[in-house]
Amino acid sequence: MTNPEHEPVKIEGVYKKFGNVEALRGLSLTIRRGEIFGVLGPNGAGKSTLIRSIVGLIKPDQGRVVVLGEAMPNKPILSRLGYMTQASALYDDLTVRQNVAFFAGLMGCKEDAKIQTALELVELAHRADSPIRILSGGMRQRVSLASVMAHQPEIILLDEPTVGVDPQLRAQFWAHFRRLTEQGITIIVSSHVMDEAERCDRLGFIRGGQLLAEGSADALRQQAGKSNLEDAFLWFAQQKGAVQ
Amino acid sequence: MNLSRIIILARRVAQQLVADKRTLALIIVVPVILLTVAGVLIRVEPSGLTIAVVNQDEGLALGGQSVNLGDRLTENLQNFDLFDTKLMTTDDAKRQIENGDLDAVITLPPDFSAEVAQSRQLNLNVQFEGSNPTVAERLRNAFEQVGDQALAGLATLQAGNESDGNPSTAAIETNLQATYLNGGPEFDTLDYTASALIGVFVFLFVFILTSISFLRERLAGTLERLQATPIQPLEIIIGYMLGFLIFGLLQGVVTLLYTVFVLNIHYHGNLLNVFVIESLLVVVSVNLGIFLSTFARNEFQVLQFIPLVVVTQVFLGGVLWPIEEMPGWLQPIAYMMPLTHANTALRAIMMTGESLGGVWVQIVALVAIGVAVIGLSARTAGRVRM
Ligand SMILES: Nc1ncnc2c1ncn2[C@@H]1O[C@H](COP(=O)(O)OP(=O)(O)OP(=O)(O)O)[C@@H](O)[C@H]1O
Ligand SMILES: [Mg+2]
Repeated sequence: MTNPEHEPVKIEGVYKKFGNVEALRGLSLTIRRGEIFGVLGPNGAGKSTLIRSIVGLIKPDQGRVVVLGEAMPNKPILSRLGYMTQASALYDDLTVRQNVAFFAGLMGCKEDAKIQTALELVELAHRADSPIRILSGGMRQRVSLASVMAHQPEIILLDEPTVGVDPQLRAQFWAHFRRLTEQGITIIVSSHVMDEAERCDRLGFIRGGQLLAEGSADALRQQAGKSNLEDAFLWFAQQKGAVQ
Repeated sequence: MNLSRIIILARRVAQQLVADKRTLALIIVVPVILLTVAGVLIRVEPSGLTIAVVNQDEGLALGGQSVNLGDRLTENLQNFDLFDTKLMTTDDAKRQIENGDLDAVITLPPDFSAEVAQSRQLNLNVQFEGSNPTVAERLRNAFEQVGDQALAGLATLQAGNESDGNPSTAAIETNLQATYLNGGPEFDTLDYTASALIGVFVFLFVFILTSISFLRERLAGTLERLQATPIQPLEIIIGYMLGFLIFGLLQGVVTLLYTVFVLNIHYHGNLLNVFVIESLLVVVSVNLGIFLSTFARNEFQVLQFIPLVVVTQVFLGGVLWPIEEMPGWLQPIAYMMPLTHANTALRAIMMTGESLGGVWVQIVALVAIGVAVIGLSARTAGRVRM
């Protein structure tokens, strides 16, 4: 059951409090190998906190997170992960290539070919020598994506990766994510864009640091008896509210 | 500990500085401008100097003629424009020079004339206040001149003392027996200040650059991304140290060459020894920058740390005022500061050509301070937020 081969990420009753804000309230979730798992929820729901605790940047007050069979935080495991932060975090003075090569290098990947492939994927090979400072917001987002994927991680965590990316490139990103899953790579992506949610294999609705529901988009719609995901989310939120 | 990750980080720090051409230029230009200003100011001709003469000379009867060399000398001193000459007793002179009211005291003993006649040397006993080496240097030259003047035309004396049966025609030389309350004869203030300033500049520049780079790392979210890679806090710190070391030493070479060849300070040191001290200073500075940046939420706050960390050290580190003259309670604080030890060591190396073994106390102190700040910064470098 708990074979890390099939369940690369297991979140077990994670509770995290910042001051008096309960960001995560006993959340449990199991991610399967090779799926795209979407974390959906409104602002402040705890999406970023959840992703950070998977990467081990946050040590839960209670519960635990197991990634690839290791309890987090665990530094060596991190080279098999790729984490894209919500706001693109790059070195402004450095070029596109220097940024991607830096983060890939820290992950243990020094092959120029892999860095080049990542740049081509985000269609920035022609801007490889431009400093980040002069790029548009969407381009930065693309560099950020390239910098988490160049080292070919087994698990990719993306915190709202397509904000500011134009629709055409967004479609390409998702097509690429799909190809990656076919190689057995697991993708966890947070979003509050419902049409992106449709492209995920499974979804987790979270609100107030709790999991409201999980399952495929179809299953969740069916369970809620609604025709679109947004209504389904609200229905689950109400159910939870009624229980409390 | 992974060397490859450390090098990747050090290379990135260097790449960022190279990309920022303006900062790179300022690292070199600012110290050169400041050293030039210091050089000009320090080498201005001194004015308002006062000396005292304690004249106890009883004179000498020579061939029926009475000669008092002490009186002649005093007269010549009074005619000299560079300084005011006052006659006073030994006790007054002692008190006033210690108060800093006098720049030098010349003591002429009762047997002054007799001694000159006998030893055929004019031995001037001068005590310099000496805290400003430029002043002492100028006075010294003036006194030698006055001594020669006083002897000139004293034909009887010059011709030799017949009674000692050893007639000589050799001219009497003026010979100064100088003691210094502070400092030494050879160096001027610029030697003293410039050697310390070289340390101050490296410290200042590395501190500013590290604290701001590290703050940006935190604000831009790249620190969070570093935390999501296998790199350890200690590796981050070592990478930063290596990255800045290259530029710190580059600045060190330029400022050193400039002070030695353009400002013409006395330099007897070994460049490698200077580098050892500067490297230790860079280590302390990088770690202090990383540590303090965690207490700042923006660039303005980091800038406030500069006066706190750098200016206090310039004041207390013996750059401007000797530590021995500070109040007792302040001295232990001064000795806790890295710049104090770096200044002492750099001065010893640059001015008197001291070897590393000769400044081992300072090296041990710098290493101890370095280990302590590495401990502090390693604790905070791992944290994304405070
Ligand atoms: N470091 C922190 N210190 C204090 N509070 C925090 C911290 N990180 C998160 N929080 C709080 O935890 C809650 C969840 O935040 P989180 O960033 O996980 O939300 P989110 O679902 O990612 O929201 P968004 O869609 O806006 O990105 C919020 O109330 C937030 O204020
Ligand atoms: Mg978020």
